[in-house]
Amino acid sequence: MKFEIPIGPQHPALKEPISLRMTVEGEVIRDADIRLGYNHRGLEKLAEEKTWIQNIYLTERICGICSHSHTSCYVQGVEKLMELAPPRRGLYIRYLISELERVHSHLLWLGVAGHEAGFDSFFMYTWRDREVVMDLLEMISGNRVHYAMNAIGGVRRDLDDAQRQKILDGVAVLRKRTEYYFHIGANEPSFVGRLAGVGRLTKERAVALCAVGPTARASGVARDVRKDDPYAVYDEIDFELCTADTCDVLGRTVVRIKELMESYKIIEFIVRNLPAGEIAVRAPRKAKPNEAVSRYEAPRGENIHYIKSNGSDKPERLKVRAPTLANYPATVEMLRNGFIADIPLIFAAIDPCICCAERSVELIDARSGEERTVRMSDLRRLAAARRRASGLKGKAEWPF
Amino acid sequence: MLKKLARWSRLKSPWILHLNSGACNACDIEIVAALTPRFDVERFGILLKATPRHADVIVCSGPVTRQIKDRVIRIYEQVPDPKFVIAVGACAMSGCVYRGAYNIMGGIDQVIPVDVYVPGCPARPDAIIDGVVKLLGKL
Amino acid sequence: MSDEQIIERLKQDLGAKALELTHPDKRRIFLKVVPADLVSVATLLRDAYDMAHLSTVSGVDKGATFEVVYHFASPVMNLNLRVEVPREAPRLPSICAVIPGAILYERELQDMFGLTVENIPDSRPLVLPDGWPAGQHPLRKDWKHERPPEVIPGGKS
Repeated sequence: MKFEIPIGPQHPALKEPISLRMTVEGEVIRDADIRLGYNHRGLEKLAEEKTWIQNIYLTERICGICSHSHTSCYVQGVEKLMELAPPRRGLYIRYLISELERVHSHLLWLGVAGHEAGFDSFFMYTWRDREVVMDLLEMISGNRVHYAMNAIGGVRRDLDDAQRQKILDGVAVLRKRTEYYFHIGANEPSFVGRLAGVGRLTKERAVALCAVGPTARASGVARDVRKDDPYAVYDEIDFELCTADTCDVLGRTVVRIKELMESYKIIEFIVRNLPAGEIAVRAPRKAKPNEAVSRYEAPRGENIHYIKSNGSDKPERLKVRAPTLANYPATVEMLRNGFIADIPLIFAAIDPCICCAERSVELIDARSGEERTVRMSDLRRLAAARRRASGLKGKAEWPF
Repeated sequence: MLKKLARWSRLKSPWILHLNSGACNACDIEIVAALTPRFDVERFGILLKATPRHADVIVCSGPVTRQIKDRVIRIYEQVPDPKFVIAVGACAMSGCVYRGAYNIMGGIDQVIPVDVYVPGCPARPDAIIDGVVKLLGKL
Repeated sequence: MSDEQIIERLKQDLGAKALELTHPDKRRIFLKVVPADLVSVATLLRDAYDMAHLSTVSGVDKGATFEVVYHFASPVMNLNLRVEVPREAPRLPSICAVIPGAILYERELQDMFGLTVENIPDSRPLVLPDGWPAGQHPLRKDWKHERPPEVIPGGKS
């Protein structure tokens, strides 16, 4: 007996609207279908009518969480088009902001994963720590989100020594707290029990469906644009590519926490070894006809921009592929043969630019046609009850 | 008497529904950040609710895309009276950088009537709380 | 393998199929083939060059033709495969049998440019809204959008 359940598009607590239709048999999902388009803003067409500099502000607002990754990817591509060589100090500052953004995005995701797993205190703790990073970003750039730091040819603002010291202090605090989260993520039995085995994606399917980012890295696929195609300063910095081989949501959590620790190492390296010099070079208004492909490792995966110019001051074509789009076929695969109660967790595990929270699920009885609304919080409680019944007890120790 | 009680409870603890009509998520994260320990909007009695039927105030962000326009209107009609709408962010006010795109209606006020506008790109959590307080002052 | 070694191997393997092969930058190769060879070249890249990862598919409207670029990636190289189709007969074969992850990108091409991708497993529109009139493809250069006049509630119009 198969039912179809629509989910979305309105998500009461968070982010982008998207519509999922699940075909279910009992509690098991047999098939899933995604309807995009609620967030389609006609950006690529708009970009053709704006100049190169105006496009920096347009690409920044593609996504709020990874805004700097879109601008950096775009600016990298335009610098290749115009054959500019930005100074090293500018590049170091640009990628310092990138790593700070990665930290804030992963802390955000940890909070949301905790909330989906029923662990609301974890959500509050990680988002409180995220405020440390937001303060650092505000100190450097002037805004908490959409820090307009990139200019074609470099960055717009410089760092002085007092700010560098504050960044190092902030990172030291965050490092201690992240080690505590690692301890919880890996050792707390109820949290582990909630996440393990959910949303399985084998390595072959991850490669065939072109999954990117921590979603793929948790299935053992060792791909990271910072290692494969190092742009600017990443070939001088020593850091590890983090993978896990459990292929489920627990693996994705562990990969993200490990990436946090690597990001702290990178931030400290950049701040300690900041070269002296200018922060930007002048860029011409018009670009010769040329094309460029720019790839970048955003917190969610590989971000790719394809830019073509035609000799004027506006681009001929700007093509943007954000990482979450690449993970949708993989999500459909993960939802198959999963349970309804796991839907919020599986969907949150790809770190969509739609991190969920509360949603209403409408169950339509195929025979009688009557509708019953079930809240996501009820589904979450159902899942927690099921796990409790299977004999896992939580023994959390709170060191502070 | 009952009316006064209802009015007092609405003033003292408005329940909000968060609606994203095609935004870039920056304003939405700032709305959720208002719940976290730093800004802590729950001490004012403001709760983020899941369903439109429980809410008093709709907090809306994002330029309205054509696809979601009908859903926004449907949700607005599902919220019981008296209801108020807060438009958060530059996109919800006028479309921000997306003004003129083929899939965008403009601001939220092209679709549903708005009571309070909170500017910013994105609007800071402090500004959002200020917007809610100003709305309560108007009641 | 270094960039030059990959280019040499490609020239040997593809022979006359490669209409144009350029190497403008480190780790960037641009290769042009005819649409009929698309599936066989994609299979070759996936099996022999470890390029199972398709980053995305971009379409460009060049007036008389549409140019479609497939961006493949391996751990050491980024190869961009170009095909051109004439505007009057915009048809392309689908590579979903070779790379299952290409389905969303091909659906987007159909929506935005009006290209027909043959043998596509799922040909529903991807990003355009439900009531969108058929035959309107936004990313074509000749598709202009007239903004309807906006009404500012309670203010000057």
